[in-house]
Formats: sequence, structure tokens, C-alpha cells
Amino acid sequence: MRLRGIIGGGGGGGSSRGGATDVGQRRREQVEPGRAAGNGLPDAARSDMALSVRNLSTVFEDGQRTVHAVRDVSFDMRPTERLGVVGESGSGKSALALSILGLIEPPGRVVGGEIHLGGREISKLSDRALGAIRGKDIALVLQDPMSALDPVKTIGAQVIEAIAAHNPEMRRGAARRRAAELLREVDIPQPERRLDDYPHQYSGGMRQRVAIAMAIANNPSVLIADEPTTALDVTTQSQVLALLDRLVEQHGTAVILITHNLGIVSDFCDSIAVMYAGRFVETSGVDHIFLEPTHPYSEALLKCVPNPERLADGPLPAISGFPPDLAQLPQGCAFQPRCPVGREIPECRRQPPRPHEVRGAAGAAIVECHFAEQRIKEVKV
Amino acid sequence: MSTPGASPNPAASALAGGEAGAAGAPVLEADRLSKAFEIRGDERLGRKVDVTVLDDISLAVRKGESFGLVGESGCGKSTLARCLLRLLTPSGGRVLFEGQDLAELDRDELRAMRRRMQFVFQDPFASLDPRMTAGALVEEPLLVHQIGDGEQRRAAVMEMLADVGLTAEQAERRPHAFSGGQRQRIGIARAFVLRPDVVILDEPISALDVSVQAQVLNLLRRLQTQLGLTYVFISHDLAVAEYFCDRVAVLYLGQVMELADRELLFRKPLHPYSVSLLSAVPVPQAGGRSRRAQRAQPIGEISSVVDRPKGCPFEPRCPVGRGREICKGERPPLVEHAARHWAACHFPGEMAIARANGSPPAGE
Repeated sequence: MRLRGIIGGGGGGGSSRGGATDVGQRRREQVEPGRAAGNGLPDAARSDMALSVRNLSTVFEDGQRTVHAVRDVSFDMRPTERLGVVGESGSGKSALALSILGLIEPPGRVVGGEIHLGGREISKLSDRALGAIRGKDIALVLQDPMSALDPVKTIGAQVIEAIAAHNPEMRRGAARRRAAELLREVDIPQPERRLDDYPHQYSGGMRQRVAIAMAIANNPSVLIADEPTTALDVTTQSQVLALLDRLVEQHGTAVILITHNLGIVSDFCDSIAVMYAGRFVETSGVDHIFLEPTHPYSEALLKCVPNPERLADGPLPAISGFPPDLAQLPQGCAFQPRCPVGREIPECRRQPPRPHEVRGAAGAAIVECHFAEQRIKEVKV
Repeated sequence: MSTPGASPNPAASALAGGEAGAAGAPVLEADRLSKAFEIRGDERLGRKVDVTVLDDISLAVRKGESFGLVGESGCGKSTLARCLLRLLTPSGGRVLFEGQDLAELDRDELRAMRRRMQFVFQDPFASLDPRMTAGALVEEPLLVHQIGDGEQRRAAVMEMLADVGLTAEQAERRPHAFSGGQRQRIGIARAFVLRPDVVILDEPISALDVSVQAQVLNLLRRLQTQLGLTYVFISHDLAVAEYFCDRVAVLYLGQVMELADRELLFRKPLHPYSVSLLSAVPVPQAGGRSRRAQRAQPIGEISSVVDRPKGCPFEPRCPVGRGREICKGERPPLVEHAARHWAACHFPGEMAIARANGSPPAGE
């Protein structure tokens, strides 16, 4: 993921809560990339990006409460890039995915930001125009493959439907051949015959591979996979990751892999964003997180994964407390109430941290922590 | 079982030998346990088919240990756990609790025995009655087993809730007011309030966030020490099993593929299935992409229990034995290949494991 040029793109956590209007954000957006002279991403370069997200904010309004699910998130992805987005439930990972795809439904609302898909701004498009893009240029795979499959239609009918939706001129015979080809591509044995099976005749891993086949039917430039292997066994999981590998290598697809499993990020991704309370609190190349997790939340998340090597160290270092209520965010850093570093620091309590760019042994990172510069020198896993 | 000449309970006999004193006595034993379900109505299978879900399983859980049952979905680990508690009636073989065959107990005796063997379920959302308060939920098992008077029960409930980190004030709340981790604490309190000897934990943390998983694992560890409990810990997550369990049995298609102490199983697995399973676990360390590129992909899909291979159940997918005559034709017995290390494989140890094992990645 391109780190530079994003710096300064978002203010602290508070910026999207108060007066950040569409206008304000758009203005900042126009200024930012150019101003980051040398480091920045010139507007012309944006079309080289598979996906470019700027200052994306999404809220859910429920009577009196406004839940800030995605708060001023910015990032860029090159073609073939594999970005892992990690965080706990409620951190905004799935809301981010749905916001990018224009699938947020009331009471949810995207309240600001821009989304450039292959250089084209898509966040203000009509539902109809978005429908033509979804499934063609950008596609989504969900945790539960059954949510993408209709139990009363054959696999073949559904894959053909996914192909035909964006290729109305294609003849039925050709679509069926393409469907069989897709199933073969995702390693379904005897694809011609199995086109006529129903979803329940497939195993869980095969259903997920079919869901992926449907998502890649039109060779999208961006694929968002939201916990695609969580419901699968480990051996099946590695088959699905191998399939995504081939997708990236053969079609140049950029993949956003949303997961709570840091191991899967290490296995598949080349960059990572750690999400907490609706923001990317640390973004970097993938190895950085495992060698020098600079944000205290990243470090805590990494350390609470059971590690047999640390058996003798006594209880697991669990993260105390709970994620903040996204309708009543702390004034300062959202992680401050749980943070082993900042819990007692007035600055952390009062002031949302700006994104700091730091550089360690494992490369650069953008870290939203007041102590980022100090921690990159000290932190060791 | 295809173990002619082997002792009827190899795992138990392995425990009996050696390391006297260090090892606890067997408290819960499966002796050639089988379970078949009758399936009907599927046109592909004919009218009625017996599907064998557990196939001749023998193992022993020792007092005070955490015994892990790992394997992929459909391997029979949950069915085995339910047979061990006699929540399901086995089709063959015996379950012994402290040497007593559970099938020989009458209703009252079984009921009394059940009090000493409790179950914690995976889904803390589905397993709690939404209309009951946390306090009532924890008190319910005491009422069912008619333990104590109102006063004593209330005291026991409060003590138990405090043990799992919930307050007296929270005792008045209903499940929806709690987070996933807190609900699992209530589930644990319900199982532990009866002061059981053995607790079966069926994927107790799978539904929880990683940060909360750590809290619940810590809690389970503390209660085990505090109350001298024996755990049977069911998990599909091998990293968690490695962290939590003293000994582990790897199940595949209803059979024990390998059974060993934690270090032996995870450092020197003998069965190609264990090796495949362990290498497939993504490790949260730098260099995962290159690690994954190096490891062998398991072949194909898990075989169906309906259409179970004649020889070794793993043969059709096995990088070592696929197509080999003996593997196709002859089911390998579960044999002690090294001290305290059992495997059911014709070619044990032939497939080496490549793991990160906590060592720093290359290049660091």
C-alpha cells in the first residue's frame, strides 16, 4: 500500500465527528496529494492505482445516536496488491468494505470521502451506475458462501447469472462453457457435471470457491474478501488462499482481505492496516507489524494470540477493557482508555493523535499514536 | 479395530507405563468406541444408510490434564465428546468414568455421575436462555441437581460469578446485556458451579474475538488449577490447542490418527495428516508468504463418512501414502511408535514438518 500522500489526509479521530462536511473534506482532499510534494501521489498517478480511497467516513444513525463506523479512512492500492485489514468485531472492517462498494443501507450513510476505482470516482454514482461496476470492476466475497448462493438454484445457473449480468450479449452455450471454465479455475473436479448440482451437494470449501468463482467471473480489478476463510477448516483455508494467489498473479487483481486472523494476513498479504474504532491506526508493509508493531493496539493484538513459545510466561496478555462506544468516542485517542502506554497520559486523553510516518528495520509505517517515533525505536516482539 | 494383538486400550496402557507419579490416573476412557447414525431420505444413498461417525476409538483422559481433541469439521470430535458424557449413546464400545462403565449405571446413578462431568458449548449466544438473568442461569444447574437450599445456592452462585469475573450487579442482567466474552463466562460459570471433576470444552473460544479469547483461556487455566479440574478441550484451532493442552489426539473421519504429548505432536508429528494440518496453520509472524509457498498443499477434499476409504482414511489425500497398496488396502493400527507417541500410519515420520516454531524468520 502506498503510505505517503496519505499522511495528513485524515486528522485525528475527532475530525470526522464534528464539523467535517463533505465540502470541507473535498477541499482537504484537493490540497493534500499535491502538497505532500515529492512524497505525495500526484493526481495523474491516481489512475495507476487499482483503488484509491480518501477521507471515507460512514455513520449509522439510530434516533439520538450516531455511530461513527468508518472515520476518515484513506489508502491507495496498486494492481496486484494484497492488503490485509485486521481488527476486532465492531472495529469498522465490514462497514469499510460495504462503504467502498456503495452497499451501506439506511440507517447507515457514507457521509464523506472519495473512492477512485481505476481512476474513476465512484462514490457519488447512482445505484444503477454502481450496479454496473459491482461484480465487474469490483467484487465482494463474504464469510458465509451460502449468503451468495441460492439454495434452490443449481450452481451452474448461478454462475451463469453472474457472468450474464455483465455480458448480456453472451449466448447461453458460451456462458455455460465459461461457467465450467471458472469452476475448473477454482479446482472444482468434473466441472461440467457439477454445474448441475445444487449448493447443498457441495462441501463448505467448495461453496466458498464457487462464491469466489462468481466474484471473479468478470475479472474485477479489485476484490474485497470479508473473512473468506473464517468458516473453513485450515486445510481448506490454504486452498482458498492459493486460489486467491492465482487470481492476483493471473489477472492482476488487487485484493483487500478483511480478517481477524493475523496469521492469515502474514500468509497472504503484502500490506496491512490495523483498524480500531473506525480508523486505520497503523498501516505498513506486512512484516513490519510482526517485527515492530508500533501502535500499542497492534502490539497488544499480536501478543494476545496464544503462542506456545510463551507458555512459561504465565497468563496471556489480554487487552483490558472494551472497544469504545462508536457513538460516544473518547475526546483523545480512541485506544487511550485501554492503552498500556497512554492510559495515564493527559495528551492521549485530550488530543487525537495525528498520523505519524515512522521508519523501522522492516520499513515504513503510518501510525496514529503520539508516541510513534519513540516506540518504533523501542518496540521488539 | 484392525489392531490385532494390540491391547484393547492402547492409550490407557501407554499411560499406565512409565512416568509414574507425574501422570494422573485415567479418569475418562473410551474403549473401542463407535458411533453410527442412520441417515435416510437421500436418494443417492438409498433408503437407509448407517453412517459411521466414530470408528473404534480408544483413548484415556488423565486426571488433572487438558486433553485436546483436534481435527477438521466432520472428524467426529464433537460426537466423541458427546459420547464421552453419554449425551449420545455409543453404537459400540464402552465409556469408563473412573473405571466405571457408564452403560451399566441406572438412571439415578448416571444423573449423579453427570453432575461430575460438565459441558461448555461453543456458542455463548445460543446456549443461554435469553429470558433468564445471569444469576438464574448459574443457579439452574444447582436446582436441577437439587443442591443446597436457597441461601446456599445464592452464595454458591455469587462466588462462582465472582470467580469468572462478573459482579453481583451483573447477576441481575439478562444475556443480551452481555458481550460475547461475558456470555461465555456465564456458560463457564454454569458448568463449573456444580464443582465437576471433568469439563468438556467444545470450541469454547471460537466465537470470540482474539483479545477476548485470551481472557477466557486465562480464566479456564486459572479455574483448572484452582479447582483441580480435568479438561477435554475440543478445537479446530491447532495453535490454541498447542497453547492450552497437555496431550492431544488428532481425529480424521472418526478415527484417531495420532495421540501424543503436546511437544511430541507439535514438534515431531508422525502422521502425514497431522503434518498437513499443522503446516496449514497460519502463524502470525513475519515471512508468512514464503513459508506458505514452501509447504505441501493437502490434496483434494476430505472424504465423506458415507464413502469411507477401505484402508487408511487419509490415503486419498496423503502426500506419503496416496496410491500405495498397503495404505489403500489395510487400515493402519494405532501403535506406539515412540515413547508416549501413538500414530495410525504405515509410514510414520516419513513426512517432515516445516514450521516457523517461533524461530525468527529468515533474514532477520
